Parts: sequence; C-alpha cells; structure tokens
Amino acid sequence: MSHDLYVQLLDLACGVLLLTAVLVLWRRELAVIIRVFALQGLALAALVAVLAAHEGSIELGAVAVGILVLRAGVLPALLRRALAAAGEERRETRPLVNVASSLLAAAVLTLLGYAVSQPLVALAPSPATQAVAVGMTVVLIGFFVLVTRRRALSQLVGFLLMDNGITAVGFLTTSGVGLVVELGVSLDVLLAVLVLQILTTRMRATFGDTDLDELRELHD
Amino acid sequence: MNLVHAGLGAAVAVGVLSALLALITPRRLRLVPVGVGTVLVGAFGVLAGAVAVAGQAYSVEIPALLPLFGVSFAVDALSGLFLVVTGGVAIAVAVYGIGYARHGLDGRGVQAVLPLFVLAMLLVPAAASVGTFLVCWELMALTSLVLVLAEHQQRDTVAVAGRWYAVMTHLGMVAILIGLLVLVAHSADDSFPALRAAATNLSPVVANVVFVLTLVGFTSKAGILPLHAWLPRAHPEAPSHVSALMSAAMVNLGIYGIARVGFDLLGGGPRWWWLLVLVLGALSAVYGILQAAMSSDLKRLLGNSTTENMGLVLVGVGAAGLFASAGDDVLAGVALSAALLHVINHAAFKTLLFLSAGSVLHATGSRDLDALGGLRAGMPVTTWGFGLGALAASALPPGTAFVSEWLLLQALIHGLPASGAATAIVMPVAVAAVALTAGLAVATFVKAFGVGFLARPRSSAAANATESPVSMLAGMGLAAVACVTLALVPSVVLPAVGSASTMTLGTAQPAVSGQVTLQLNGVAGALSPLLLTVALLVVSVVLVGAVRLIAARRARRTARLWDCGAGPLSPRMEYTATSFAEPLQRVFDDVVQPEQDIDVTHHQESSYLVQAVEYRQRVPDRLERRLYEPVLRLITAWGSVARRLATGSVHRYLGYGFYTVCGLLILLVVIR
Repeated sequence: MSHDLYVQLLDLACGVLLLTAVLVLWRRELAVIIRVFALQGLALAALVAVLAAHEGSIELGAVAVGILVLRAGVLPALLRRALAAAGEERRETRPLVNVASSLLAAAVLTLLGYAVSQPLVALAPSPATQAVAVGMTVVLIGFFVLVTRRRALSQLVGFLLMDNGITAVGFLTTSGVGLVVELGVSLDVLLAVLVLQILTTRMRATFGDTDLDELRELHD
Repeated sequence: MNLVHAGLGAAVAVGVLSALLALITPRRLRLVPVGVGTVLVGAFGVLAGAVAVAGQAYSVEIPALLPLFGVSFAVDALSGLFLVVTGGVAIAVAVYGIGYARHGLDGRGVQAVLPLFVLAMLLVPAAASVGTFLVCWELMALTSLVLVLAEHQQRDTVAVAGRWYAVMTHLGMVAILIGLLVLVAHSADDSFPALRAAATNLSPVVANVVFVLTLVGFTSKAGILPLHAWLPRAHPEAPSHVSALMSAAMVNLGIYGIARVGFDLLGGGPRWWWLLVLVLGALSAVYGILQAAMSSDLKRLLGNSTTENMGLVLVGVGAAGLFASAGDDVLAGVALSAALLHVINHAAFKTLLFLSAGSVLHATGSRDLDALGGLRAGMPVTTWGFGLGALAASALPPGTAFVSEWLLLQALIHGLPASGAATAIVMPVAVAAVALTAGLAVATFVKAFGVGFLARPRSSAAANATESPVSMLAGMGLAAVACVTLALVPSVVLPAVGSASTMTLGTAQPAVSGQVTLQLNGVAGALSPLLLTVALLVVSVVLVGAVRLIAARRARRTARLWDCGAGPLSPRMEYTATSFAEPLQRVFDDVVQPEQDIDVTHHQESSYLVQAVEYRQRVPDRLERRLYEPVLRLITAWGSVARRLATGSVHRYLGYGFYTVCGLLILLVVIR
C-alpha cells in the first residue's frame, strides 16, 4: 500500500469515526443511534485494518477482525435486543441539553480534543498520531452523551463511544497495545454492557421507565 | 544453621498453613488443628526470640517478595524480647481458644485469621526496613480488626467498637507512615541500618518531627492518653482470647516502636522527648486505673488497666531516655529494665485475667460485675485463676507487678539527685503517680475479684455457672504458671531484659542481676521476691495458727448471722461494684465527673406521694468528651455540607466527572 493511499484511508476512517460520534448526538431515534454506533464500530475496525495493512502485522489484522465482530456485530445486537425489550421508549425525548446546543458543544469539544492532542502529536509526528485528536474528541463526545442523555440505552451508547475513542487513541499512538490487553479490554466492555442491560431491565421492572433521574428517589 | 532463621521460618510456614487448614477443614474438625498450629507459631516465635536474646544476631533480605522495596528481617535482643512475649501469650491463648471458640467463634474467617494475627505480631518486631515494618504493622491491624468484629452478629456494640478501632488504628498507622517516610527521605534507603547512619547527621527539626509523629502512632497502638479511646471499647467487645492477645501482646508493640525509633534509629535525642513520654505515661497510668476503678464491666476494667500498665511502662521508657540524655547509664539501664520487665509481667497477668474473664463470660454470658458474684462455688479453678491474676496485677509484694514497679520506683527515686530542674520536678511527681496508681490498682482488683467471684450470686446465671472445659483451664494454667514464676524468680527473665536494655541503650553491663536476690548494679538497692514471699507465708501461717489456737479455747456456738432484724440477707444487700467504687468516685469527683440522673415519679392523686424513684449514674470518659466530641462534630458538619453535592441524580454525578475532565484538559492546554 502506497503511503498516500494509507494516509487517505486512515483519514477516511477517522472522519467516519468523528462523524458517527456527532450523529449520535444529533439523532433522537434510539434505533438510528444503534445503527450509527454499529457504523462507528465498522469505522474503528477499518482503522485498525488499515494500520495492520500498513505495518504488515498479522496480529493487528486479527485484532481488527475481533473489533469488527464485537463492536459492529455483538454490541449493536445486544443493544437492539435491549431496545426491543424496551417497548414504547424508542426516542430520546427530552435530553438534558437540546440537540442544537449539543452540536455546538460537540464543536467545542472537538477543538478541545485537538488542542489537547497537540503535545502528543509533537512527540512523534506521523499520519497516525495526527489522527489522535479524533480519538480524543470521540472520548469527550461519548462522555458528553453519558452526561446529557436520559435514557439508559443512550447512556450505554455514550459509554461505548468513550470506549471506542479510547481504543482508537490506543491504536493510533502505539500501533496496537498488544493482543492480550486489547482482548481483556474488549471482554470488559462486553461484560459491562451485559451488566448494564440487566440493570436497564430491572429499572424498567421497578420504575416502568429507564429515565435515570428516577433513581433520585433512591437517595436517602 | 541459624536457629532464629529456623524459628521465624517455621512460624511463618505453620501460621500460613494453619490459616489454610482453617479454610478447608469442616467446622467440627477446625478448632484443634488451628489451635495446635497457633501454639506452634507461638512456640517457634519464643524459640527465635530466645535465641536472639541469647546473643545470636540474625538478618535476612528477600528483595523479590515485595515489589519496589523488598522485605528484610533482623532480630536483635530487643526484638527477641518482644518475640518471646508475643509467642508466650500466643501459646496460652491458642490452647484456651480450642475450648473457648467452640460456641459461635469457630467460623472459617475467624479461625483462619487468628494464626495470621499471631504471625503478624511476631513479624512486626522482626522487621528491619521501613517497608517491611509498615506492611507487617498493617497486617497486624487488619487481622486484629477482623477478630474484634468476630461477634458482630451477637451484639450491635461490636460494630461501634470496630469502627472506633479501625479509624484510630489507621490514623495511628498514617502518623507512623509519615514519620518514618520523613526519616527515609533523609537516608540512603529504607533499611534500619541506613536510617541509623542517617540519624547521626539529621537536623534537629526533622528528628523532632519524626519522633513526635511516630510517638503519636505508637501511643495510639499502646492505648496511651489521649489516644486511648478505642481500647476500652474494642477490648470488651472482642472475643476474650483475642482481647488477651491484643491486651497482652499487641499493645506492647507500641512500646517496642517507641523504643526502636527513639533509642535505636534516632539514637536518643533531646531531653524533652523523654519528658513528654514520661508525662504521657504517668497521666495514662493514673487516668487508666481511675477509669478501671469506676468501671463495672469486667472486661472494660481490664482494658482500662491495660492503659494504666502501658502508662507505667512508658514512665520507665521516658525515665530511661531522660537518664540516658543526662549521661547516667546506670539509672537508664535500671529504668529501661523496669519497663521491659513490666512489659513481660503485664503480658503474663493480663493474659491470665482476660482468659479468666472469658471463662466467666463463657459460663454466665455476662461481663457486668453487678450481675455476677458467688462464682467460687461453681467455678473454683477460674476463681483461683482470676484471684492469682488480680494479686499479680495489684503491685503487692507476692505479686508479679510488684517486682517491676519496685524496680521502676528505684530508678525514679535514685533519679532525684540527677541534673536539671525539669528532672528534679518531674521525678517526685512521677514517683507519686506510680504510687497512686499502685494503690488504686489494689482497690480496683479487690473490687473485681471480691464483687465478681466472692459473696453470693446476684443473678441466676451466676448461680448456675459451671466450670469451663479443660482446654480453657489449661490455657489459664499456663498463664498462671508464668505469673507465679515471674513473681517468685524474676531472675529467669533478667538476662533477657538485661541484654535487651544494654543493646538498646548501648551500655556496658546489665543494670539488674542476681539469682534469688535482685541486685542493682551501680546504685544501692536489692530485692528478693522469693524470700519476701516465704517470709510473708511464714508470718501469715503463724498468725492464722495463733488465732486458731486462741479461738479454739472457747466453745463454738452456731447462730444466725445478725441481719438487723430485717429478715434473711439477700444478694441485693451486698456490696456491688458501683457501691464499692463510690468512695473513690467521691474522692476523685473533680477528675472523673460522674453524671447522675434522678427521676422521681409522683402519684397522680397527690404530688406528695412518690410512686417510683429512678436513679441512674454513669462515669463517662471525660477526656473523650472534651477531645473527641468536638472533632467528631466538626467531621459530621463537614459531611452534611458535602451531602449537598450529592443530590441523588446520576446525571449530576456524571457531570462532575465530565466537567472535571474537561477542566483538567483545558488547564493542560492553557498552562503548556
């Protein structure tokens, strides 16, 4: 793979990563959000695959396949199942921050992500490290989703966005953190999602809703 | 083959093995292997300590065991002495525990932690680097906490006691940690030899900070004022054999820490350090025994008496430091020998007393002296055990504590002409404090023994009490043998005390020697406990014989006891613990400040006719009121302010995290 093509593909993957993160903020339909999340998983897998092809590393290729299965396949499927069990609640009706302001905030967070990652880029300038800013931004946007969305499911997506961002930063800075570490982190994420899914079900059984602010009543 | 190495290694191996064994064996079969294992751990500890005291130095380094700082152990004469004491207490307690733990204390966790606790207490004095010391210290604190909480399902007060203990022991740990780390920061590494080398050219300010911080930590472990509040709470609520371990072995390690850091690592120091130690010790001794005299809870009384005895030990340590800083090696030797001998004696009689108290608790289910009495008939062996322990504790001639308190008084009295105005003022006051303590101790233990065991039973539980199982009696017997030996022939431990004190102070020869008669080397003074006891025995036999002889001349007439014509005497008319302590309470009214509460209920028809009078009295810990409650109130107020941050909204909590992360990132961007 020529260097130019590599840079183009890398940038494309990163662009999709960022775009999907912003789309999660924009859309209210939970089903659409899950679809967008799956697309982001695909983009992340593509990003790792490009890195693997560039470095000719088979191990990294295997990790890319794993990421594809987990983040574009298993996790969205789990989310979809949770959504199907949710019944009526298919929309993020009243986020704590409305969509327009959310998009503005995303812009600010993107700036912050770029500003913060400059020192990292300066350490070892290369096409991969220059894209670190995107990973940072996805982490921040994921956190923002976690803070501002009411539905348990969209919060779950926010958590997973953060994890996607962290993974992206990890691969872009170090070109792979080792198969074992990646495997461990991925399994952790899977477990967290399973636990949260159970929690969501329980919450609905108890409160008839998955609005997390209902939990306020548990405060003594 | 180094015997210290073999002993310590075997203790570690057996300790860990018995803990594992406790985890896998079924409940029925658990007690005996754990008991035997703990006895072996104690025995190996005694072996290692005895060999070290005899002069075999030992040190080992295992760099790979703990990351970053490694593990190193060294046993010298001072460590050896504490190893022997801890091991000895553990042997008696473990034998006792086989029978005592049968009812409700045979759970997997408690049984597994017991040998580990003993092991941790053995490893603390053996540690030879700051890292190792702190790890062992923390292990000791955690295992003892688990044991204190063993009966948390039976009584609510256990949890309260556990909280007090956990908080205070860990604050003490933090103080020690900071103190020792400050010292480490000024030396090459964290091993004790390196610290010793660094202490020679340490600035006085740093040395003061290190000493005061470690003193705070170690006194909190030893139950010294004003950090004693956990002790009268945790000791009564722990299972009795654990109380014995804590009171007879664990608190000693606070003394060990002060001696190790003050004398050995920092190499003496200015006079005010030791004046501080002495004053704290004297205050604790008087205050502790005063609280004990007021207490009607048997185990709380014993816990307060621990504060008293540790106070006496600190008086000795402080006097030793004072004399050493004045250059008087002989008196320093006498004072430190007295302190170390009192550590040994206290360990022996406090083990016996707590084990007997546990036996009473086991038989009657009550620790309240006002509900006991008349146990002599049902529990003769326990009564003898407690009586012997009470005699040993009360500093009277045939008793165990008498020997060490006599030595202590000798050191203080001979210190009067020593140089300095401060010494001239402090020494007489300290003598008075020790004497007052001894007097109050007699009253306290007469009360505990007389009210608790003699007279007629005040409750049906006390009336129906039966003797404890053999293993418990055997454990008490071991402690009793130790008490009697130490009382009659203290010369068996004198070489150990002598070599520990000469090593610690760096003096040439032991200050106290002798076989039957103890001789002070360098100052006038001699005592022979054995001859004294024989003389006392002869005198009392002669007296009793003479009285019998005279009384036998008249004919005996049997009649009913004079009861003022008020019908048969009932147990309600007996002296209770509270009434026995009442005169003392009046004398020390200004110090203890008892709280009295009288509720008079009148008849509805007429306010002149009284229906019922209710009288309540408690003797609160005044120091605790003054010192602890303001601090606790402050913390509570702070906590309720902080609660405003926590509204219960998950989004808000997540928001805190988000804003903090963003704020930090922005800060990073700006300041770069």
